[in-house]
Amino acid sequence: MILKILSVIAPVFVCAGIGFLWGRAGRPFDTRMVGTLALNIGMPCLAFSTLTSLKVSPEAFGTMAGAYGLALIGFLAVGLVVITELRLPAHTYLPVFTSSNTGNMGLPLCLFAFGPEGLALGIGIFVMSSLFSFTVGWSIYAGRFAADVFYNNPLIYAVIAALAFMIPGVEPPAWLANTTKLMGGLAIPLMIISLGVAIANMRAQGAVTIIGISVVKLLAGFGVGYGLSLALGLEGAARGVLIIECSMPVAVHNYMFAQRFGRNASDTASMILISTVIALALLPALMLVVL
Amino acid sequence: MASQLAAIVAPVFLCIAIGIGWARFGPPFDGDLITSLVYNIGVPCLIVAVFHKVEISPRALGEIALATVACYAGFFAFAYAAVRIARLDVPSYLPSLVFPLTGSMGMPVCYFAFGDVGLALAIVFFTFGAIGTFTIGEAIAAGTWSLRKLVRTPVIYAVALAVGLQLAGLRVPDWIFNTTNLLGAMVIPAQLVALGVSLLQLRIGGAARSAALALFRLGMGAGVGFAVAELFGLDGAARAVVVLQSAMPVAVSSYLFAQQYRRKPEEVAGMVVVSTAVSVVTLPLLLLALL
Repeated sequence: MILKILSVIAPVFVCAGIGFLWGRAGRPFDTRMVGTLALNIGMPCLAFSTLTSLKVSPEAFGTMAGAYGLALIGFLAVGLVVITELRLPAHTYLPVFTSSNTGNMGLPLCLFAFGPEGLALGIGIFVMSSLFSFTVGWSIYAGRFAADVFYNNPLIYAVIAALAFMIPGVEPPAWLANTTKLMGGLAIPLMIISLGVAIANMRAQGAVTIIGISVVKLLAGFGVGYGLSLALGLEGAARGVLIIECSMPVAVHNYMFAQRFGRNASDTASMILISTVIALALLPALMLVVL
Repeated sequence: MASQLAAIVAPVFLCIAIGIGWARFGPPFDGDLITSLVYNIGVPCLIVAVFHKVEISPRALGEIALATVACYAGFFAFAYAAVRIARLDVPSYLPSLVFPLTGSMGMPVCYFAFGDVGLALAIVFFTFGAIGTFTIGEAIAAGTWSLRKLVRTPVIYAVALAVGLQLAGLRVPDWIFNTTNLLGAMVIPAQLVALGVSLLQLRIGGAARSAALALFRLGMGAGVGFAVAELFGLDGAARAVVVLQSAMPVAVSSYLFAQQYRRKPEEVAGMVVVSTAVSVVTLPLLLLALL
């Protein structure tokens, strides 16, 4: 069991560690370029390649996306209660509850815990999570509704293309399958290394409120994921993937959004850093629950 | 047959095309960052992961290693003769004719043609090329001899480890395999995109001469490859890998040395671009002859 857990979490720690050391050493790291390479090129290819390898049915894929949609409603509810109680502004503190690191940290865990099937199910959640972050999350930061980010995300088109193969159950031609598989290899390692670099460049202020919100976010995430998996009667990989993804820490892109729209970026950075460190420390325990 | 050829060459040329598109429309591309990530982290991981997946007998390993050395000896002899006969400057032209693009282009072609075994054999060929490039190649361009770069190349240690484990019949634990497999997957796509970007950024000069030398590299490489494969009585994947790797276009690293040591970088750039472009046609033909 210990070796199995190690084989799931070691890749995340090593890759994030490489990024962390890279950032701490002050070596140049063009976040924008790596982000484009990983998210606009690698990720759509990975989603297409994983989904069209037909390890999961369109129904199973849809179930995961739907389950995470329900989870997001739960996260929103918890977030609203917390910010109302603490009288905090929604534009900085609400998206912290709903936008999590489902991609850079969640996907490798799903992959190594449950193989290609886990990755495919995790992508169902990641797609839902990205859609939500880039529409609702973005709009909360911006203070106005914006949906254009939705159309600009190549991931959507990759998933639509993949569904065109998944629903009739046909495999894409070998040249397309090979190309997307090759390019998809960029996504996860570059995302986790970037996470490490981002963490290395952030500073945390240990105000009690900030630590409290981070802890509540993680506990609520795990609780909602665990509860939903029971309520929906999920088993095996589907159960594990939902719980893993719901337990992920505050997403790094919240920091970029907060900066861009002039929200409280230093508090956001603190919550990202604190929740990530706690989540990493608790990963072995999380794996004990899901494996 | 056409779809089989497309499955092998399309990933390579599509990834290069993405790089060309990036250079034209994308954000600034930090080639140094990619090179550093690929060579210091990605390639050593790829080597460890690939040799974990395959089983190659010591005899087959020795055979491909000797054949590789024979190929490089052949390249060296023919290229030197050609450069002398044409009364060209040896430090400027010899390295670019000797060392082919065995990494970013040779590895994926061999992988898609022969799977992990093809990739493992291609890595052996690549390793000798890398050692040669950083010692003899650079010494020719620089005019001085130095082993410093070689001993600082992590690739050497990864190969020593991987081949050592392979010969001892040992396997790395799962957590190392998962981690190296994840990080290794970024090597080929990142290199190909970087190749595409650099193709568009190269400043080309001396069109006619560099075109002639580019064609000489491709033809001479294929000829030496076939002759060595015949001489060593290679067949199957080993024969194809030796021929394919021998017939790869001019390496981008030759351009970097030419630039660094002011050895006619524009002409070397021309050779890189022309030989890569011509290989779009010659590579499928070569595969047709080999498969």
